[in-house]
Amino acid sequence: MKYDKAFLEGLYKELLTLRMTEEKLVEIYALGKVPGHIHSGVGEEAAFVGTLATKHEGDYYKGHHRLIAAVHMMGISLEEIFAEILGKETGTSGGRGGVNHIADLNKGVIGTAGSLGCDMVVSVGAALSAKYFNNGRLVYSYYGDGTSSRGSLHEAMNLAAIWKLPILFVCTNNQFAISTHESTTIPVSNPGADRASAYGMLAKVADGTDVLAVYEATKELTEYIRSGNGPAVLETKCYRWRGHFEGDQTKYRSAEEAECQRQNCCIKKLEGYLLEHGVMTKEDMDFEKKDLEVRLEQAVAFAEESPEPKAEEIFRNLYV
Amino acid sequence: MQITYAQALGDAIKEEMRQDYSIMVYGEDVAEHGGIFGVTRGILEEFGSERIKNTPISETAIVGSAIGAAMTGMRPCVELMYADFMLVAFNELFHCCGKWRYLHGPEYKLPLVVRCAMGYSFGAGAEHSNCFESLFMHAPGVTIICPSNPYDAKGLLKSAIRSDNPVLCFEHKQLYKVKAEIPKEEYTVPLGIAEIKRAGTDVTIIAISLMVREAMSAAKELAKAGISAEVIDPRTLVPFDKEAVLRSVKKTHRAVIVEESNKRMGIGAEIAAMIQEEMIDELDAPIMRVASLDVPLPYSLKLEAYSVPNPHKIVEAVKSML
Repeated sequence: MKYDKAFLEGLYKELLTLRMTEEKLVEIYALGKVPGHIHSGVGEEAAFVGTLATKHEGDYYKGHHRLIAAVHMMGISLEEIFAEILGKETGTSGGRGGVNHIADLNKGVIGTAGSLGCDMVVSVGAALSAKYFNNGRLVYSYYGDGTSSRGSLHEAMNLAAIWKLPILFVCTNNQFAISTHESTTIPVSNPGADRASAYGMLAKVADGTDVLAVYEATKELTEYIRSGNGPAVLETKCYRWRGHFEGDQTKYRSAEEAECQRQNCCIKKLEGYLLEHGVMTKEDMDFEKKDLEVRLEQAVAFAEESPEPKAEEIFRNLYV
Repeated sequence: MQITYAQALGDAIKEEMRQDYSIMVYGEDVAEHGGIFGVTRGILEEFGSERIKNTPISETAIVGSAIGAAMTGMRPCVELMYADFMLVAFNELFHCCGKWRYLHGPEYKLPLVVRCAMGYSFGAGAEHSNCFESLFMHAPGVTIICPSNPYDAKGLLKSAIRSDNPVLCFEHKQLYKVKAEIPKEEYTVPLGIAEIKRAGTDVTIIAISLMVREAMSAAKELAKAGISAEVIDPRTLVPFDKEAVLRSVKKTHRAVIVEESNKRMGIGAEIAAMIQEEMIDELDAPIMRVASLDVPLPYSLKLEAYSVPNPHKIVEAVKSML
């Protein structure tokens, strides 16, 4: 076995954390506790866990609207995540940003734009400063197959490529832009990797349900970027298990197809590998799940008990 | 020493760059070429290609990357060439620049400046002459400066570069070659402070950017007719020096707002509404707006001149109030 035990256990715990946090989010949304809209990332966890497993201290992260729980890998606590989701004072921006803006700059999270793709150019700016100050930092910047058609992404890639900026673009290709399948709007088979070639960027495609495959591909690309070669693109192929938002009836695809895709589960795959190699037992895994259940209950309880932001402080963090 | 408005802006950038390594300049044609209006001339020679770069024609990337660079320790001072091209990066300016810190937390400081050239310049037409300040006045979180002379251009831009929040700098194309005497010693002009360009007692004329020149000419004409006009240059549109305007109107009891953009939903509408909300009882006449006609600015010089404000239109507006 080429990986050490602690590394694999770490990956498993992160996959579980993201999965169960996203499931908890769906659960509390159904109970009417979430003020805004959520976009479940269940089923796409390996793309985030496999890539961020290569990050170094000080690296930057730019996520997107799906799988918001991934900021946990950057060190943001479950309590802060749920508090911001519930719009509470104890959230990362005191309830002013909400579901799509859970962030902490001191942990390298540079934030997210609600208009998808606009933040891709922002993430290139973080890579510009990393190069300008020569501080060795790398930016992990995530976008979806839908966003791959936005002009801002192409301007971002072009600028990053000509200035050889240290940024990894990660296209989490879940095949759907709300109701529209990628095959009807994107003229290439790999919206991430194929389009990268237009900017002379190194690109790889990985199975987005196999966390070790994602990790291996990312390792190669980030070593290339850290050596000063400029940006690269990783495309992770996966499937959006749930609707675009909660309440989406997903009439644009068959229930059978979705069910079939859900069998292709990143957690089950890693569990198989861990059992086969004797890294963890079924009991170990059950223990982790139970532990997380308790921690998630506590995080939601913390958020619910937290105060609402004060109306008289509505202008906080606004300077003009 | 007499220097031009363009040189004053360039000097502001260079002086700040000498003091602060985190300042970087980029935009279209800003390096070897020195910017199409010459503002960034000499920066490449003095600071090298690491600190000033030409970009592709990618306004979205220019503004967006400035945001990311600013929050991670740089102080980018970027150029968009024509203000008209701001619309290409509207989302980045309106949503991202203005809202990012509010949405994500106080540690997301955005010390960045976006410079652009605005205003009519004799036949530049409907897509190279716009004054878009009012669009961005509507965006919470964005500071807006519009210097009307070389002294303010240098002082305001230096304050803008030192600000920890995003600043849009609207420079008027017709002013780039205007010369004025400015101090040799270092100075800044604070953001958010208006200047009374001329004291008067009968009417307050609030004029923006190039329109300050037009308002000053109008004030001279009015003086010949025995009308004493006070001319105020806000210099900064956001934050707006409301107190200076209210103090003046309390004295004159009449207000005219002169702006170069279209009248409809413009800066004048906002200032007029603000004045009447605060002090309707002080007003002896309806507040007047002198602005461009609500047409795309025509290419024809005759039609262009017909559309934009001029001293005569301002004089007529004032006389109609007395």
